[in-house]
Order: sequence, then structure tokens, then C-alpha cells
Amino acid sequence: MVLQDEGSSSSVTSSPLHNFSTMPLHHPSVAGTTTTTPPPWMARELRSDERGLCLIHLLLNCAAAASSGRLDAANATLEHIAALASPDGDAMQRVAAAFAEALARRALRAWPGLCRALLLPRSAPSPAELAAARRHFLDLCPFLRLAGAAANQSILEAMEGEKMVHVVDLGGADPTQWLELLHLLAARPEGPPHLRLTAVSEHKDVLTQTAMALAKEAERLDVPFQFNPVVAPRGLESLDLESLRVKTGEAVAVTSTLQLHSLLATSSSSDDDDGVDTNNKKKNNKDDSSSRRRRSPEDESGGSGVSPASPYCSTSSPRPSNSKGKANTNKVEAFLCGVWGLSPKVVVVTEQEATHNAAPLTDRFVEALNYYAALFDCLEVVAARGSVQRARVERWMLAEEIKNIVACDGAERRERHERLDRWAVRMEAAGFARLPLSYYALLQARRAAQGLLGCDGFKVREEKGAFFLCWQDRPIFSVSAWRGRRFD
Amino acid sequence: MNYLSDPDAEVIALSPKTLLATNRFVCEVCNKGFQREQNLQLHRRGHNLPWKLKQKNPKETRRKVYLCPEPTCVHHDPSRALGDLTGIKKHYCRKHGEKKWKCDKCNKRYAVQSDWKAHSKTCGTREYRCDCGTLFSRRDSFITHRAFCDALAQESARVPPMAASIYGSGGMTLGLSGMAATQLQSAFQDHSPGNAAAAQFDHLMPSSAGSPAAFRGAPPSSSSPFYLGGGEDGQSLLHGKPAFHGLMQLPEQHQQGGNNGLLNLGFFSNATSGQDARLIFPDQFNAAGNGGRGGDGGGDVSAGGGHESAAIFSGNMMGNNQIAGGPGAGFTSLFNASSETVAPAQMSATALLQKAAQMGATTSGGGGSGGGTSSVNSLLRGLGSSGGRPAGAAGGFMAGESSSSRSNSQAAETNESQFQDMMNSLGNGGAFGGGFAGVDDSKLSTRDFLGVGGRNAAGLQLRHGGAAGIGMGSLDPAEMK
Repeated sequence: MVLQDEGSSSSVTSSPLHNFSTMPLHHPSVAGTTTTTPPPWMARELRSDERGLCLIHLLLNCAAAASSGRLDAANATLEHIAALASPDGDAMQRVAAAFAEALARRALRAWPGLCRALLLPRSAPSPAELAAARRHFLDLCPFLRLAGAAANQSILEAMEGEKMVHVVDLGGADPTQWLELLHLLAARPEGPPHLRLTAVSEHKDVLTQTAMALAKEAERLDVPFQFNPVVAPRGLESLDLESLRVKTGEAVAVTSTLQLHSLLATSSSSDDDDGVDTNNKKKNNKDDSSSRRRRSPEDESGGSGVSPASPYCSTSSPRPSNSKGKANTNKVEAFLCGVWGLSPKVVVVTEQEATHNAAPLTDRFVEALNYYAALFDCLEVVAARGSVQRARVERWMLAEEIKNIVACDGAERRERHERLDRWAVRMEAAGFARLPLSYYALLQARRAAQGLLGCDGFKVREEKGAFFLCWQDRPIFSVSAWRGRRFD
Repeated sequence: MNYLSDPDAEVIALSPKTLLATNRFVCEVCNKGFQREQNLQLHRRGHNLPWKLKQKNPKETRRKVYLCPEPTCVHHDPSRALGDLTGIKKHYCRKHGEKKWKCDKCNKRYAVQSDWKAHSKTCGTREYRCDCGTLFSRRDSFITHRAFCDALAQESARVPPMAASIYGSGGMTLGLSGMAATQLQSAFQDHSPGNAAAAQFDHLMPSSAGSPAAFRGAPPSSSSPFYLGGGEDGQSLLHGKPAFHGLMQLPEQHQQGGNNGLLNLGFFSNATSGQDARLIFPDQFNAAGNGGRGGDGGGDVSAGGGHESAAIFSGNMMGNNQIAGGPGAGFTSLFNASSETVAPAQMSATALLQKAAQMGATTSGGGGSGGGTSSVNSLLRGLGSSGGRPAGAAGGFMAGESSSSRSNSQAAETNESQFQDMMNSLGNGGAFGGGFAGVDDSKLSTRDFLGVGGRNAAGLQLRHGGAAGIGMGSLDPAEMK
């Protein structure tokens, strides 16, 4: 169907982007405005860049509308987005589709009955699907693999000369990283140490599979190996550090891949800015924006079962005020202090290098849009549009993260990515000092990044001993290593 | 736990003499020595001597941790202190003491008597034999020996040691020299399970064992995890695309594989270890064949055929036209080069965001007074910076919005008024006419983009049920396909 132009001065030129920001979103037939014209995409087929720009504009409008509770505006904008976006199109269309779905979910929160009836939380990918998507991501893009290799190199260097090595994987590492580590340890000049690997995961079967594969490989390499699975049903916050069974006198290495940020999730309401999100949202008891900065009454830190006893950690000391309230700062600091108490020789942390934890939706939205646009671009370059793996990464992994960032709040929002400089503050507060990642690892990573795929989109930037794995100069992940600091 | 988890733990450093001393407690009657005082007290009962057993008070007693007095020892450091007295005594004795106890069968010497006893029980009962003929009773020494054994070294010169492991484990690991082969093999298994692929593979892999062509000269040592990235000279079966390709393929074969579900580790169970490369392939192919992947596997690989610069799959394709020819879809991404400097025909999403930010900035700057405070412009300005940090105005957009739409006085240009109209309409809660119901028919398929979860229905109902009297116009559900 083609809409007729109202006949007034038309600004639909051959290049509708000429006055892009003034493009109307509504049809002139209603509301009496007469000088408007139909949107360009209705008039003719757009070029891909025009379409992309339209999508951006629409997405921002929609986010603005959703954030301020103007759900009908959001709805109308979503219609337009739906017309232009597609999960099978180009990168911009795909990322727009993902964000549109997230915005739609956010808007739907106003009708919890609808959400429940549609069983929305259950439409999330199953653990197996998520694992598959992560594996595809590992294959398609080298980021996490490079991070794992850098971590392995750090562990190797820290454990030089050790006979008993205990690696604690707090989660997120692909089993191939441990296979690599087995190979590296087996090839040590002084011979392999006895390796104990304690892996934490939310899903038992992942651990079982990992155990079998690693045990087999260790057997083949003749590396004395012991695998201890630890199931943490609700993630790191439910992890009891005692269950890691770190023995006195062991050499301990701790790794965490994209896990720590979930500890920043809190059930406090201080991080939701929906001005009009109604009180029938069962979890949140917030209402107006004046309560945005209010501290949550429920700020218990007790999830981790460890009393942080390091001289650095004192949960009663005043914290620098932040908009997230004390609850989550306590949780993550308590956890990090507990890790410090294990006396690890090295702790390697890999996290997303983005600030997706701002309280207002619009800030988060813009930051996330930039970040995931880069990731979708990367996928566009490394995989074909029809690629199943790419689709899975986009839908089961990235879109889920986007949905969590945009549509969830409070304890539900676990994808609270923060940049390394903020994590560094937390690590230092917990008693850690930076341990530079090895230069050798940097060379390897750079070589791998450049060698892969023949494209130069992947870059590794080193700063203060940490690596930033970038796509086209946009950092995507940060990898940093830490050592326990004592009494300085 | 280490003492650090219990800062009240008492760190005790005993002297070597104390650690080595045995039988510190002596009975005065018969001069019998005991290691623990309590044992002595119990012994004294037998002499009908007065005895007294002291009990430790668990509340008062502090947890003690012990240091090794030897400065070069790891356990000299308080963070590696050991947890109990017996432990530190045995440690000191073993590591820094004289080995006074000797096994008679195998000549091994021990400093701690209990170690010696334990050993002599098992000495000779279990044996490991290295290929060079040396016998070991302990597994760890056997392992250490094998790492250095000359006999093994000769054998490994034939095949890069890790290559076998790759084939054996279907190894995903990077550092292993046989990677290229793995990827090639896995690449093929996806789209032509069965003999055809095996044949193709052989074609591309003249000799699987240590072939420099296949492995691109990767060094046999596995100590460099990233050999694959290093020193690639672009020659190769994969046409310059590094071994990475197959990695993408590799898990896929098992994605659809039945009970393995979607956990890639399933492929480990398919692998057999220690076999020659060629032997493995039939297994892998069978596995691939089992995982009925339908059109997807074929689709994605073949789609890669069109890629030039960054494609993962193209390398696999180029060497072998038998694999499904790339469909047209793949070719559009030919232009999808990673750089954003390509003509606007296919701009990357990041480039679009930056452009939108620029446009937003220029519009607000040049378009008159009102634009500056509009919500979307501030968001637009926030776009495009690589960090995506939003402009500070984002917070104020809610307030600014309606005012900006009114505050514009000039609005001489049609553009500006149109923009305001848009902002008006947004501000009014969306006087969006029903006329928009029928979106371009050609785009109908994209309306299903929310169809992943079937949430279209919800979206539509919003309009009717939720838009309280905003005047949505005659929106006929029938129009909404």
C-alpha cells in the first residue's frame, strides 16, 4: 500500500536523509497537521544506509518514549521499526531487531498479565542453546578465545615452579581454554604439575561434559588432573567459597569470564528510572523519579557465605556514593574479598568493556546500541547472512543480553557491564594489585587477531597491563590480571 | 583456608630442631619417648603414676598455621602457610631433611618414616613402563620421565605430538599444530558428510601427517597457543584464511547431533585418541552424518562462498567447487568489508550510528534554536562516540521535550516545523493514524521479526487495549497482518 502525499510542500527529496531528523513519523491524516509527508520508507525503497539511519532514529525515539512511559508512542515507533528491521538483514537491521524486541518487552512490563500469559521469561533460550550460542561466538569471533589464551598464559607464568596448581574457574570459560592449559602445562620444561580444576557453573550437565572431556585429555597427556564441579544455581551470588575447597598451601589461580557483573544486580529499586512504570510490577517498589537515588532498604550482603576478613574489606565502611545503592556494592565487594581470602597467586578477569549499568534507560540504551552495533558489525563481517551459527549468536546470546539490559531492572538485570576502570577500583578495594598480562600473550593475541580471517577489524590494545580486545577501535572485552596484595 | 581468611590465626614459625625432633615427651619411669604429650600421659597411667589430660578449649584456642623455616621454601611465605603441625613437620622433613629411610626393593630414599612405610607397601605392585624400557612405580615420575624420554622424542618427530591429540579430541585448542587439519576436516564434514567429503579432504590434504602445507609450517611445539595467527604466509589450502574456519564448523556438526544436544563437548566423545589423522575422518564424518542438519549447515557454509575479505567459509569453498555453490546471499557481503570506508552501499552499523550522531548534531546546531533540547537530538549526540557516552542532556530530555516543541519561534523552514510536529506527536502520546497500519507489503515478512517469540499479538493488542483513548484512529486488525 502506498500512501498518498497530502499535496503540501513535500520534503521527500531524492535523498530523504537530507533532513533526516525532521522526518515525521506519523501520517498526516490525523491530528490535523497538514504539512507533513509520509516517511520515506513508505514512499520508496530505501538504500541500506538510509534505512539504517531511519532505524537509528526510530530506535532512539522509541527508547525515549518507553523510558518516559509513553507507550503508545513507543508502540507506533516499534511498528515502523518492524517495517525496516529484520533479524536476517544487514547488521543494522539485525541489531535494530534485537533492540526493538527488547524495547517491546520493556513496554510490555506495564501489563504484567500479558507478560505472564505469554510466558515471556520462558521464551529465553535453554541452557543448551545458550551454551551452543556461546560456542559459536567463540568460533566466529576471536575475542573470548584470545582472552582465554591470555588468561592461560598468566596462569602459566604465575605457576612457574609450582607442583600443585589449583585453578578455580568462576564461570564463563570455554572448556577449550582448559584443554589449552593442559597442553601448556604438559609442555612445561619442568613437567606438568598436579592440576586441580574447580569449575563453577549454573548447570550441572555443562560441568559433567567438561569433566569428561578434560579428564580424557589429561589422561592422554599424562597430566595428573582432578576436576571438581561446583553448581551454583543462581550464579556467583549463591556461591559458597568454602565449596571450592581451596586447601591451605595450594597455589591458586582464579578466572572469571563475564561473570562478575552479575554480582552488581540488586533487588533495590534505585536503578530503575521508569517514571510511570506502575506499581503492579511485582518486584519493584519504586515509583517516581525522585526515588531514583534512594538507597534500597534491602542491602544484605549475605549471599556468598563468606565473611570477608581481609584487612582491606570492611563492609561497614562508607562507600563512595553511587546511584546503585549499597546493596550491590556490598555483594560484589564481599565476593571479591572472599576471593582475596583464598590467597590466589593470580586472578584473571574478563569482562565486557562497556557501561551498561547506568540507571536511566536512555543512557544504557545509547551505550548498548553502540556496543552491540559493533558486535553485530563484527558478525556481519565474519559470517554469512545465512549462517546458522551467526543467527544463534545474535538471537540466543546477544539479543538476550540486549533484552536484559533494556527490558529488565532490579535483580533481574544481570548484564550489568562496566568498564575496566570501575572494576579496577573494586579489585583494588578488595586487596588486589594489578598484575600485567604477559607481553608474550600480547604478541600472540595480536598475531592471532591479525592472522584470523585476513581482516584487520580485530585489534588488541594494551593499557596498564590489561588487554582490550577491540573491533575497529571499539573495545569489546577487557582482560586483566590481579594478584593478592598483602599489607602494603 | 589460608590464614588470611582467618586473620586471627596465629602464624607459628618453629625452628628446624623442633620440627625434626621426635619423641619430645619422655616417661620418667621407663624413658620411653612419645611424640605427643597426651600419649605420654596415657602411658603414665600404666605406671600408676598421677596423670592429667589437658583439654584444649576450643573457644580460646586460636587457629594456628605454620611456616617452614627454610627461607627458600614456598611455605616460608605466610600466605602459603600450612595448616597443621604434623603437616609442617612432615613437609620439613621431606623437603629439607635427610633421607634416612630406604626402600629395599627399589632404592628409593625417604626422610619420613611413614612415607617409607607407605611406599614399601606398594613398591613393585604397580608398574608403569615407558617405551624406552624404564619401569616406574609412581605415576608422576613416570609422567615426568616421558616428557624427556629420548625414545618418545623420536616418535614425536614424525607427527607433531599435538596433532594426534587434535584428531583424538577433535581438538578445538588453538595452540596445536594440527589445527589446520582439524578445521579442514570439520569444514568438510558439514556439507558433505560421507565419502565425498573424505575424498575432498584427501585432495586438499596431500599428507595429513605433519604436512607443512596442511599445517602451514606450524611448529610442533605446542607451547605457543597462537601459532595459527603467526607467520601465516597466505599460502594454503584455505587460501589465506587461517585455520580458524573450521573452528566455526566444528561445533556445528554436533549442534544438531541428537543427544549431544547443543553442547559442543559432545564431539569429544566421538573422537578416538591417538589415531592417525586419516583414521579419524570417517568417525567425524559419521558423526556429521548423524546430525541431520538439513539445509542449515549447507546453507551457512555455502553462503560463505561469496565472501572475499573476511569470510570464514570461503576458504573452504574455494578449494572445492563440489561443495554447494554460494548462493547470491553470500555475495552481497562481498561488499561488506570490515572497513567503514566502503561506499554507503553497505555501511556498518557503527558507521551509521556515527553518521546519525553527526546529523543529529548538525541539525540541532544549524536548524534553529529548538533542536538543541530535543530529546532525540541529545540522544543522537550521544551516539557515535566510540564509547557511546551519552551527552549530558539525556537526563533532561523528558523535561525539555515538550517545551522545545513549543519554544520554537522561527521554524521558518518546513523542516523545523516538521520536526516539531514529530516531537508534538510523540509528546501527545502518539496521534498515529490508522493509515499506517498497512506497511509496505514488500516488508511484510519483516514484520515477523518479533515472531521469534510470537509477540506480535501483544504489540497489536496494545494499540487497542492500552492506548487509552488517544485516538488511534481506525486501526483495523484485519490490516495488521
